[in-house]
Amino acid sequence: MRAEQKSGTLMAAPYAVFLLVFAVYPILFALALVFMQWDLVTTPAFAGTDNIRLLMNDGRFWRAVANTFVFLSIHVPLQIVTALALALALNRQLVGRSFWRAAFFLPVVISGAVVAILWSNLYATDVGLINRLLVKIGLAPVPWLTDPRTAMPAIAVMVTWKNVGFYVIIYLAGLQYIPQSCKEAIEIEGASAWQRFRFLTLPSLLPQTILVVTLSTINGFQLFIEPYVMTGGGPLRRTYTVVLYLYNNAFAYQKMGYAATIGVALALIIGIVVFTQRRLLGKAEAL
Amino acid sequence: MPSVTFEHVTKRFGEATVIEDFDLQVADGELLVLVGGSGSGKSTILRMLAGLETVTSGRIRIDNRDVTDLAPRDRDVAMVFQDYGLYPHMTVRENLSLGLRLRKIPRHEIDRRVAWAAGVLGLEPLLDRRPKALSGGQRQRVAMGRAMVREPKVFLFDEPLSNLDAGLRAQMRIEIGGLQHRLKTTTVYVTHDQVEAMTLGDRIVVLAEGRIQQIGRPIELYLSPVNRFVAGFIGTPSMNFLVGRLEEHGEKVFTTDGGRVQLAGKKLSTTTVGSPVTLGIRPEDLRIVLGTESAHHDGMLIGQVVLVERLGGTSHVHFEVGPHRMMASVSTDALPNVGETINVRVPAERVHVFGADGKALA
Amino acid sequence: MLLRRIALYTGLGVAAITFIYPFLWMASSTFKPPVEFGSLALIPDNPTLDNYRTMWARAPFGRALMNSVFVATTITLAVLVFGSLTAYAMARLNFRGRPALNAATIAVLMVPGQLTLIPLYTLIVQIGWIDTYAALIVPYLFNATAILMLRQFFLQIPQSLIDSARMDGMSEPRILFTIFWPLSKPVLSIVAIFTFMGAWNEVLWPLLVVREQSVMTLPQLLTVFALGGGAGTVGVLLASAMVLVVPVVIAYAFLQRNFIESMAGSGIKG
Repeated sequence: MRAEQKSGTLMAAPYAVFLLVFAVYPILFALALVFMQWDLVTTPAFAGTDNIRLLMNDGRFWRAVANTFVFLSIHVPLQIVTALALALALNRQLVGRSFWRAAFFLPVVISGAVVAILWSNLYATDVGLINRLLVKIGLAPVPWLTDPRTAMPAIAVMVTWKNVGFYVIIYLAGLQYIPQSCKEAIEIEGASAWQRFRFLTLPSLLPQTILVVTLSTINGFQLFIEPYVMTGGGPLRRTYTVVLYLYNNAFAYQKMGYAATIGVALALIIGIVVFTQRRLLGKAEAL
Repeated sequence: MPSVTFEHVTKRFGEATVIEDFDLQVADGELLVLVGGSGSGKSTILRMLAGLETVTSGRIRIDNRDVTDLAPRDRDVAMVFQDYGLYPHMTVRENLSLGLRLRKIPRHEIDRRVAWAAGVLGLEPLLDRRPKALSGGQRQRVAMGRAMVREPKVFLFDEPLSNLDAGLRAQMRIEIGGLQHRLKTTTVYVTHDQVEAMTLGDRIVVLAEGRIQQIGRPIELYLSPVNRFVAGFIGTPSMNFLVGRLEEHGEKVFTTDGGRVQLAGKKLSTTTVGSPVTLGIRPEDLRIVLGTESAHHDGMLIGQVVLVERLGGTSHVHFEVGPHRMMASVSTDALPNVGETINVRVPAERVHVFGADGKALA
Repeated sequence: MLLRRIALYTGLGVAAITFIYPFLWMASSTFKPPVEFGSLALIPDNPTLDNYRTMWARAPFGRALMNSVFVATTITLAVLVFGSLTAYAMARLNFRGRPALNAATIAVLMVPGQLTLIPLYTLIVQIGWIDTYAALIVPYLFNATAILMLRQFFLQIPQSLIDSARMDGMSEPRILFTIFWPLSKPVLSIVAIFTFMGAWNEVLWPLLVVREQSVMTLPQLLTVFALGGGAGTVGVLLASAMVLVVPVVIAYAFLQRNFIESMAGSGIKG
């Protein structure tokens, strides 16, 4: 056993060191930075609770949080409906099933930067593909990314498009678990297609739906590259996100302490939101 | 008027014909068992009746109404599945009532039926539980309750007891039989277990490879199997088979390596003389006579005991006659020892003779 | 019945088009001269490679491509090798502190990356690793998700294989690489794919720690290029995006099953 202990310790030691340096230390230091002011050049100065108080009153930060909720209110329901619809469509004997599945999953593997650039051009007011199609069928072009009312919704639709394939896979996996006998039993009991969906399929997929909500929410709070590339946070700061603000504070304004405070606050907000969601949805599961 | 009719029903899956020209009538209130091994087509037939499989050709009628092209929900049947098919996210009460709620039956009627079924099946304390909190036997009962509250024209059972342990199975068998008698609803019951078939069925349909081998009451199948398959399938322990020929010595005699059996009084056509036949005799019909008097002409076989299985009141004596291995099921009172030579009496009136094609000759 | 089938395939077809068409449009736009840009036609009237030539000349995309390949490959190899060593120890070797390490790994996965972003950045600055490959690679040498996945898989390999190998005198790492690895092909490929894709597409971290164009990764250079206006025309910009996308799409076309299994599987765990 001694030899095993020795090998084990040796083999696991690098990872333990890595965790200390790249996980434990940063978490502790982040918490410490909350109470400091530092521009990376001069020595860090103790700032007490300044950062925290500033954050509580920081309009930009709370604007960013509000923007995220706007994003989520569109993205999450849209994601659930689209992913579920596609999964139901794909969950049957289909010609070329792997082709369809691959088509919907394609945007998931593409870099977020590319998707952002691509959709910047699709959404472009004058030459963008979407407006050109709208004009072709007789509708007026919409200034998707420059109108404060449509910018975040436009990004929400794009992110839904990018990630739906991933959630389709999750729902497809869930659909496999519905026992064949349950499906046949409900048919014999007299359910129409809609009733089958409402009384069997949808309730059976509740765990998957909870997963979709949780992952989309976390993803939503971490939005960065999309607004960074497409709108820079505008118009009128309507697409400004928390991570974008964090990045700017670190990279542009050189305020490490404040940036770290934003990071910690974000982690807390995500934690609270996800916890609350799971609580509420978990109740639905127990019903 | 028969309750269920199958008329020339054929089922093909692509190139393979699984059921061929199946004809059957199920009487009103009857419990009909479809029994056979896997691949015999019994489940397919049941599922076609339920509407879960399409019929390639032929018609199916329930109460004289042609249901062949109707969806399952319009056929007024209820089914109990092998794995019960209970809705995992609903309580027992909701499981029982869903079918009625879907059909918009009034609330008080739903409550009445659910209470009735729960009472009959002993489900009252379980009504607010979820299926995962129930034992196998309890889930089985809920599945039956769900079928009962629908008050359908036909009950369909698809191997409902296969997932239960032996003791529970025996108990549930009795309950299902009793229940069906009380409710008098026409029932079609599929199983691979011939004991279930024999104890439950008013009539049994023995199936093999999509074709009916024999239909009849349990005792008929036991006493008069029409072919070798049915003879070997029905009855536990299963029938002994000896391959040999028929000779004529005044009366017909069956001969094989190791012995001959007198077939006094059996009506067999003279064309069968000399041709290869199979003799079948059930273990419980054999009598062992201890002692070594060779008495061929008494229709006795001489065998050597190779194994004795003591099962309590009855015992199984395995013995060899020439190259053949046979088994007798006798009372434990006077058992031979391993290695002993025994005389085995084969009563001619209990013997079955099958031709080369498997069909019973007498 | 037939009507339903037709409706289904039509619906799926329309949906699939919305997922594939934008990429086709993007690809075809890169071959169009500026004057044709914006046309809805997929096949350009006057196809040209100008956009690509311009893009290549304006910014070091070739260099960035090599950087991305180098960084992603190194990280993937490291994660596979180091991750396996760690996972093997955690799964099959009894050592003091194993439960603590386990708990720490799971805890780490629960913390959003944004919290540790700034301290990691300041750490890099202080070590003087700004604008180095080390900054891009070292923080990713160990991946908690990968370690957990590998550990889960390694737990299922029969003890008898290890016992007989030990009796033959094999060292533990030897056992890992000669016995466990051949048996672990499915999970190794899953880990390889999601690690590589993650590293290939990562853009926020490089944006923080690398300023020097010659060290930038491809998505990073693309972003900088896009925002810096260096592209001039959209055709050039999309051409640069293509460099990032085409290798992935080609790999995806051949391995889409593995991709889907990998990224869906890792996502559910993480």
